[in-house]
Amino acid sequence: MRTRVQDSFRALADPTRREILVMLSKREMTIGEIAAEFPITRAAVKKHLTMLEEGQLISVHPIGRERINRLEPTGIKNVHDWMSYFDQFWDDKLSSLQTLLNNQ
Amino acid sequence: MSVTTLSKSIFLTATPETVWRFLTEKEKLGQWFHPSKEDLTEGREYELLETGDDGISKTVCWGTVVSMDEPNSMQWTFTVTPLGGAMTTVHWKLEAMTGGTRLTLTHEGVSEAAGESALGLLIALDKGWDEHFMSMRSVVSALNAKQ
Repeated sequence: MRTRVQDSFRALADPTRREILVMLSKREMTIGEIAAEFPITRAAVKKHLTMLEEGQLISVHPIGRERINRLEPTGIKNVHDWMSYFDQFWDDKLSSLQTLLNNQ
Repeated sequence: MSVTTLSKSIFLTATPETVWRFLTEKEKLGQWFHPSKEDLTEGREYELLETGDDGISKTVCWGTVVSMDEPNSMQWTFTVTPLGGAMTTVHWKLEAMTGGTRLTLTHEGVSEAAGESALGLLIALDKGWDEHFMSMRSVVSALNAKQ
């Protein structure tokens, strides 16, 4: 089971995605503008943006024919709460161990 | 034990010796946690891996096995990728009970480590984050004041 706070951390765990966040902290950008800053394909950038959106670290807003990516405070708030992150992390892992050993 | 200590106990229908193997052997760790590069050894560093969508294995948890008392207890230093190397402490306790083992996990130092990594994030993100990080700043300065 994946939870929202884990989506936020998963999104933050990659250096390219952190760089994208730093860029978006300065201004809102389209996918094309972001892709121009990285030596990776537009499709790869799109994948990173999807993960950032799933982690609630950015939101995407259609403006005309463009889609604007904007920094989103919700995920950052989740990230503040490390205790709940590890709480869920260990619950998930220990319940896997329990299932594994108790079904042997 | 501080208020920021996490403690969890589970009951397992296996002997402490069996549970111990699931905590220390590389393949068995992979069945419930993350596979380890090598079996865990006292005094040695360890790395737990995760294979991404792209098929590349990355280290996601790492630290040092500080002490081992087979099959009773073990202590690790422990960090995860988003904590950026700021270390916490994980303690495992295995107690034999009728029909199985009670396994207790204690995880300490999380808020202190989060303070360090928050500082790193703050520096990386610089301005523009001010409103979101205002509360994080106060957390960090509160932690620094304590030290």
